[in-house]
Amino acid sequence: MKPFAYQRAEAADSAVATISRTGAAYLAGGTNIVDLMKLGVTAPDLLIDVTGLPLRDIEALPDGGMRVGALTANSDLATDPVLRTRFPAVALALLSGASAQLRNRATIGGNLLQRTRCRYFVDVTKSCNKRRPGAGCAAREGEHTDLAILGASEQCVATNPSDLAVALALVDARVELLTEGGPASMSVHEFFRLPGDRPERDTNLPPGALITAVVLPATPIARMSTYRKVRDRSSFAFAAGSVAAALDVRDGVVQDVRLAYGAVAHRPWRAYAAERSLRGAPATVDNFERAADEELAAAKPLRDNGYKVPLIRNLTVGVLRGMTEASW
Amino acid sequence: MSTTTVGAGAGIGTSPLRPDGTLKVTGEFAFSSDLWADRMLWGATLRSPHPRARIVGIDLTGAVATTGVHAVLTAEDVPGKKLYGLEHADQPVLAMGQVRYAGEPVAIVAADHPETARRAAAAIVVEYEVLPPITDPVAAIDAEETVHDRGNLLRHVPIRKGSLEATAPVVVTGEYEVGMQDQAFLGPESGLAIPAEDGGVDLFIATQWLHGDLGQVADCLGLPPSKVRLSLAGVGGAFGGREDVSMQVHACMLALHTGRPVKMVYSREESFHGHVHRHPARMWYEHGADLDGRLVYVKARIVLDGGAYASTSMAVVANATTLGVGPYKVPNVVVDGYAVYTNNPPCGAMRGFGAVQACFAYESQMDKLAAALGLDPVDVRVRNALEPGDTMPTGQVVHGPAPVADLLDRVRAAAPPAQRGDDLRELPGGVANTTHGEGVRRGVGYGIGIKNVGFSEGFDDYSTARVRLEVVGGEPAAVVHTAAAEVGQGLVTIQAQIVRTELGVEQVTVATADTTVGSAGSSSASRQTYVTGGAVKAACEAVRAAVLRRAGRDDVTLRGGRLVTEGGEVVADLVDVLGDRPIEETVEWRHKPTHPLDPRTGQGDAHVQYAFAAHRATVDVDVELGLVRVVEIATAQDVGRALHPQSVRGQIAGGTAQGLGLAVMEEIQVVDGLIRNPSFTDYLIPTILDVPPMRIDVLELGDPSAPYGLRGVGEPPTISSTPAIVAAIRAATGLALNRVPVRPEHLTGT
Amino acid sequence: MRVNLTVNGEARQADDVWPGESLLYVLRERLGLPGAKNACEQGECGSCTVYLDGTPVCACLVAAGQAEHRDVRTVEGLPGPDGLDPVQQAFLSAGAVQCGFCTPGLVVAVHDLLARNPTPSDPDIREALAGNLCRCTGYENIVAAVKLAAGA
Repeated sequence: MKPFAYQRAEAADSAVATISRTGAAYLAGGTNIVDLMKLGVTAPDLLIDVTGLPLRDIEALPDGGMRVGALTANSDLATDPVLRTRFPAVALALLSGASAQLRNRATIGGNLLQRTRCRYFVDVTKSCNKRRPGAGCAAREGEHTDLAILGASEQCVATNPSDLAVALALVDARVELLTEGGPASMSVHEFFRLPGDRPERDTNLPPGALITAVVLPATPIARMSTYRKVRDRSSFAFAAGSVAAALDVRDGVVQDVRLAYGAVAHRPWRAYAAERSLRGAPATVDNFERAADEELAAAKPLRDNGYKVPLIRNLTVGVLRGMTEASW
Repeated sequence: MSTTTVGAGAGIGTSPLRPDGTLKVTGEFAFSSDLWADRMLWGATLRSPHPRARIVGIDLTGAVATTGVHAVLTAEDVPGKKLYGLEHADQPVLAMGQVRYAGEPVAIVAADHPETARRAAAAIVVEYEVLPPITDPVAAIDAEETVHDRGNLLRHVPIRKGSLEATAPVVVTGEYEVGMQDQAFLGPESGLAIPAEDGGVDLFIATQWLHGDLGQVADCLGLPPSKVRLSLAGVGGAFGGREDVSMQVHACMLALHTGRPVKMVYSREESFHGHVHRHPARMWYEHGADLDGRLVYVKARIVLDGGAYASTSMAVVANATTLGVGPYKVPNVVVDGYAVYTNNPPCGAMRGFGAVQACFAYESQMDKLAAALGLDPVDVRVRNALEPGDTMPTGQVVHGPAPVADLLDRVRAAAPPAQRGDDLRELPGGVANTTHGEGVRRGVGYGIGIKNVGFSEGFDDYSTARVRLEVVGGEPAAVVHTAAAEVGQGLVTIQAQIVRTELGVEQVTVATADTTVGSAGSSSASRQTYVTGGAVKAACEAVRAAVLRRAGRDDVTLRGGRLVTEGGEVVADLVDVLGDRPIEETVEWRHKPTHPLDPRTGQGDAHVQYAFAAHRATVDVDVELGLVRVVEIATAQDVGRALHPQSVRGQIAGGTAQGLGLAVMEEIQVVDGLIRNPSFTDYLIPTILDVPPMRIDVLELGDPSAPYGLRGVGEPPTISSTPAIVAAIRAATGLALNRVPVRPEHLTGT
Repeated sequence: MRVNLTVNGEARQADDVWPGESLLYVLRERLGLPGAKNACEQGECGSCTVYLDGTPVCACLVAAGQAEHRDVRTVEGLPGPDGLDPVQQAFLSAGAVQCGFCTPGLVVAVHDLLARNPTPSDPDIREALAGNLCRCTGYENIVAAVKLAAGA
């Protein structure tokens, strides 16, 4: 680990002012950055510990939405009774991540900034455009069973590792920030990005900005939402693929639907094509399959991750079928 | 629930508490990574990033200049022999001019803080001329390019029994593959070396075999063995991965060079590079049977990837080959086993030691045979089950109980697990709420395996025990001292139990294992209770004989601290016989000798004892998502005599879980010679949610030639659980599944 | 830097701490409390589980500075005046200890589980302990130990 200085943030604005200096990074729960520093993947000169800032409130907004302080622990939000009623997919996504010990420590804001688990990114002896722009991507021809099938670029085939982010994409969450210019906010869809030719950037977070809260806008359909995750063991593993879904079926017809996929792309993948295909259509397995196929038509699997295409397709169908049956 | 516990003072056949248990539950037990010494330095290792390269130059300037660094050493600084190895010394202490696997140690550093040591190691500049690695073991056998001068074939073991030309009306063939498994012990490689005033060194180390280390360490340090003293530090699991030397020589070199204590602790990533793994295997099998399903012949070819250095590959391939047809009667056998050098990570001992790989193949074949004949898979096994008096493919006659058919019948007859409940957490995918049961299919599969106990092929396999009987505080007390490594299996408890049983004293102390007493051999091959248990028993018998001589009696036993006649008459108190003159005896004990295999035919009585276990696995498979949940495992094993029943069941449950890991998740992924998943995030081992409840049936059939009739316990559970689980997945899915681990992508197809 | 914290009820102070050290390192190497274990130091195994302000966390991922003025309870702090905590006793009695490297982390995790849920079901137990890897026992006797402790 490279030497660095450690400092506790007294206030959000002074933290933002300090961090804008090169090389500094925020430290919250530490469940990702501390590990990456040990591996030498990231090497800030200065760590600003923000955990003392008052950003831990979970507010149930009167309009049916919620506002969650960025430093809320994953475990605290997952067990919030209002969240479980209004946004069950978010609670399920949180609970399917990591282990109890890590959920106790990990924060909502930090979760959005998790780095990819691509093995070439975390191994400093290997070439990775995300870690060192221009170095090349060893994953394309290497071990990539976990990596992206959608939206990847020549430079990068990494996936976003977050479960929470998939559920946030489902409900069109907004990310509240404090920047040097003052408070700002952006949609989670603007926040995450595809790698393109700038794979070193995971998100569109402005430089130096501090995530202060995540807002879940009032979303009636989210009350009928769920999250399902497939992984190589029963718990405590990153997803091979996951689906967040919200469904409103009346008289056998899909009134409204939302779908988002995890572990398939550099960002949580909102399945707009599948949603369009399903709105107004009879809620049948055939239609679910067709919708998933339409979404996945854009998939470009690598040598060893083609299994994700049928996996996501079957997962989509399974989730929607289950929700349809539950709505009868 | 197995909670048989009785107070201290219990002899064999009971389950007293572990003597180290209280320290372990309070966090006070000193594992090797917990050690500390005044003025202690920390060691770190620089390893090769390339699987095959010539070293053109090493520039140590940056490391030497780092503040806080006390030593930077390379191959030139190795004081004695530059090579080490358990069976064949081919592995450099530090790389000499070339590297043969990614992770090979090149230089070592000692500094005043672990982080400083790591940074200094990273500051060493090594110039490599990178060469294309040899990574395909099958191609390597005949390849012109070689890893070592001696060629790539480490050992070929041929077995020929009966006719080479046998034919049969029913023939099934298959090609099988086993991935590279890691021992994944939780306690990382670590130890503390302290330089001594006599120019020697004291090493406190987590190992499986103190004297195995001692010989290699002394040779490499250029010191007489008397100047290298090893003591066992707390061992955080082993499973074969600590049979080879890792940081032992390095820590001693740094300590001797700096004159200060040096501690080395591997990180998890380094641990994946720092010990040998289970050999990946490719296996081709052909089984011929008559129309009743009786085996006529088995032909097989087994190729084990030994990686860059020999380690124990020669013995592993002998096991895979001699046990290669399983616990079955087979009149005609042609098996060829090969262990091969490549530039992949070195492979060696892991629980099951060659028997695991072969069992996956031959049990898959037995299922194929059953399917070809329309027979029940258990019936076809029972029909061919080995019995006492039968001969193995090596010509060795199986003596003593061999309850193959009985074990199969028992797991088949065990009550089936409950049907699925409503709790979604009990479906494939578990807490992730993955499956609602739509595509879930249940399957049941069986497996049975065979394992040799102890070291084979004429190895002088012995253990040494020293037992001292004396009066302490007015009570008779015994101290038992061996060099046998307690690695978690409970050997410390067993040793005390044996002493209590044999000498009739309550107060027994098990001294720390070290090299001031003779070798106990390795804590591996399911041998330690057998061989060190045998040595402790023999030492107790010698002590008892001395007590009787001193008392002038030959018609009494020792019970409850007294000398008692068979009729129950107390003739003396032990305290009075001992007085202030302790009795101490040291005994070397050997099991009956084994013999080498004929190098052309593989015939020979190479093994001392066989052990057997059977498994029935029940799985639920979500065929749409490729998820497997093992619902229940029923297992039956003959342990001869359970000296500590609770520990026996613990070994069976733990071993079964490791076999489960190999079946459905565990594999070190090696791409072009590089390990791609050296972490517990990417190398998955089963969590408590992955391991199902187990139904464990322990038989005690008594082997007349073993101490107390016991049979080695540790390895058999790991061997047959893997094929049983895969058979169950096949039953649920109809897929062929010729490779383990089975992963979701193998079940959903692409 | 200097870190001040409360460990097992006692005010403690660690000097010359380098910012890159973890709470685990501070406990093990600077405060003489090696109970929390170093199996992976990446948050992947649970062997370093300690209470931080009453919540179980992986001490290996807590930066040393983040422990300032916090309350830490380790496995060494669980026994009461009358000896072992019931969870520790149950692990011992049920044969849930083999090599023992996972034991301290598991004991803390089970201690927390039973404080929140005194009569956990089998799925409750397994779900709560999924963050604690054990390589020796196959978990069979660990589940037994939790049930034993819950009944105690």
